[in-house]
Amino acid sequence: MAKRITIDPITRIEGHLRIDVEVNNNAVSNAWASCTMWRGIENILRGRDPRDAWLFTQRFCGVCTTVHAMASVRAVEDALKLEVPLNAQFIRNLILIAHALHDHIVHFYQLSALDWVDILEIPKADPAATSKLAESLSPWTRNSRNELKAAQDRVKAVASSGQLGIFANGYWGHPAMRLSPEVNLLAFSHYIQALEYQRKALQVVGILGSKTPHIQNLTVGGVANAIDLDSPGALGMERLEMIRVLLDEVVQFINQVYFVDVCAVAAMYPDWFKVGSGVRNYLAVPDLPLDTKGTAYDLPGGYLMNGNLAGVRPFKTASDQEFRESVSEDVTHAYYRSGKALHPWVGETEPAFTGWDGEQKYSWVKAPRFKGEPMQVGPLAQVLIGYAQGHPLTRKYTDLAINQVQAVGGIRVTPDMLHSTLGRHAARAIRAAMLAELAHKHLQLLIDNIAKGDYTVHNQPVFPAHQVEGVGTHEAPRGTLSHWVVVKDEKIKNYQAVVPSTWNASPRDRSGTPGPYEASLLHTPLARPEEPLEVLRTVHSFDPCMACACHAFDPSGRQIAEAKIL
Amino acid sequence: MKKVLIGGIGNVLLGDDGVGPYVARLLASQYEFEDGVEVADLGTPALDLIDHISGRDAVILIDAVATEATPGTVLLYRKGDIVRQMPVARMDPHSPALVDTLFSTDLFGIAPADVLLVGITVESYETGCSISAPVKASLARVVAEVLRELDRLGVSYTCRRHPVDLSIWWTNAEKMKSTGSELLQFL
Repeated sequence: MAKRITIDPITRIEGHLRIDVEVNNNAVSNAWASCTMWRGIENILRGRDPRDAWLFTQRFCGVCTTVHAMASVRAVEDALKLEVPLNAQFIRNLILIAHALHDHIVHFYQLSALDWVDILEIPKADPAATSKLAESLSPWTRNSRNELKAAQDRVKAVASSGQLGIFANGYWGHPAMRLSPEVNLLAFSHYIQALEYQRKALQVVGILGSKTPHIQNLTVGGVANAIDLDSPGALGMERLEMIRVLLDEVVQFINQVYFVDVCAVAAMYPDWFKVGSGVRNYLAVPDLPLDTKGTAYDLPGGYLMNGNLAGVRPFKTASDQEFRESVSEDVTHAYYRSGKALHPWVGETEPAFTGWDGEQKYSWVKAPRFKGEPMQVGPLAQVLIGYAQGHPLTRKYTDLAINQVQAVGGIRVTPDMLHSTLGRHAARAIRAAMLAELAHKHLQLLIDNIAKGDYTVHNQPVFPAHQVEGVGTHEAPRGTLSHWVVVKDEKIKNYQAVVPSTWNASPRDRSGTPGPYEASLLHTPLARPEEPLEVLRTVHSFDPCMACACHAFDPSGRQIAEAKIL
Repeated sequence: MKKVLIGGIGNVLLGDDGVGPYVARLLASQYEFEDGVEVADLGTPALDLIDHISGRDAVILIDAVATEATPGTVLLYRKGDIVRQMPVARMDPHSPALVDTLFSTDLFGIAPADVLLVGITVESYETGCSISAPVKASLARVVAEVLRELDRLGVSYTCRRHPVDLSIWWTNAEKMKSTGSELLQFL
């Protein structure tokens, strides 16, 4: 008989991801992804000054602050056909890269590593053997026996206290956990170290954006950073040097720790290259512009359908005509007033809550479609689209990852195997390594441009009297983000944000086609349905970010996330 | 010199949830603090809260709370009160918040010695940029609790003779030029 499992962390006021899966013979036979909160924040923007929109959109999400700020100024610039000075492009790019590196590190270590790493195995590890193993994998200097022993002692202290604290919710001892005690210890030691390096990446954002978590330096038409090579108060050599030093450390962590760990975990869970595929249509937008007009980019974009790499279609620009024309949002299964699928410029956000019903409406997330099809977005989309186009940087790190997995686990990963749960993790590590290399490149581009005597950071926006529309995109850590704005009389007439997790957490559309999370869970084997670790692994591999909004602390602790067998 | 963070938490686009950032700006506009004290509008940082609180001697957080009490009721929580709630399975980056952050900083040995959460019971989380009347009426009390904690910590502060701009840019009612003094008249 089919059993239904709901995974629903409903503690806080935030909108959350809820996953319902139907289990037959210890495998997922049907799945629904939903978001549990109505926000409609876009409605706040109507009637406001388009120059201020980014301040508001930066508050959409407390984790992805900068990405929504960036997409917003780009949307207005696109509507005004406003060029962005080179210095501003490079400063923005550096912020986006640093934020993404921070985000990818946090995702792997803080949010998903414990899906694969069994904390309670760590006390059994031999720190000396772990150190030896680590040295065979990476030149990282912080894999010493002493450092590993200290990490192990922390786990032992927590375990012996009987207060598992942060680990109280893990599925420890689950049969799907397969790492040796030594690999568990090594990964845990890096989990602790990751905190230092994620903070350094944030410091780069803070130096350029003047504050974190909400940057202050954006403006429609450029940035507000004062450039003066000799003034410590402005963006000058002193601060640029600070950024270089911080980036050096973050880049080293990415290359020698994060990338290596992902490849090692992948090598030890080869089955997971066969699980979690789902929607094989991929979408990514070009990003990291290299000129003022946005005609050349360091990250390629485009789309491919049905996993057909040979049929990849590139986007020329970040607001490519084909992209502009092909996006719509369907609300057949979302809690909004029903109607036909709408383009974001004419999109509506009129709530009509009816309660969870898998056959009817069941989510606050709309179903975005590209040419009518669901699309998977995120690092995997970007890597596949870049790889398919022969993008050298993408190929370099994809091939490096494939070789590394083979060296550790003896399995040969083909590009086709990347359509999987592990493929998403591997692609994120590949993207992080690409961005790590680009971080130094864009810092140098900025320094070189300033050295030429160009101190321009801003072009003045000019608003036409007639109505204009724009789309601002950003290939964010979680995938393609697009902000769609309609401006008239210097005021916002309509505003819609189509965020990466909307693409991936999309509910079914009018034809019943499921979204990427839903499709990816089908046929997932569950060793213990009452402990659906395997479902979490696949959902986490997308790096879901549903809340994008409200946070409040509930001190009564009345409802904890749980896996309910219905 | 004590390293102290006074952090306002919440989403300024969701009604009363914006009270934390609001109070942070109110404090910064009205008071000067000794070196080592940082007043910050943290938004909804989720797990990034670890990055903000690690290495501090004391942390005072101001946040909206969902309780059964009357809207505007101010409740104080110490670390023990907070961690009594177990962490939630991490579905997305928003799930781990204060409880997980405190567990993590303990585990990693970077926890502040003193943690105080000043919670304000909210009336509404509806989408919007304004704060409800009962919550606004509680602001003076919230500020007083923050100052009382600073006194307890032995951290000095002075009332500004000329308050700086509140910079509550997200509301229409309080223009950027408002000083906020009227909100604290009965302090």
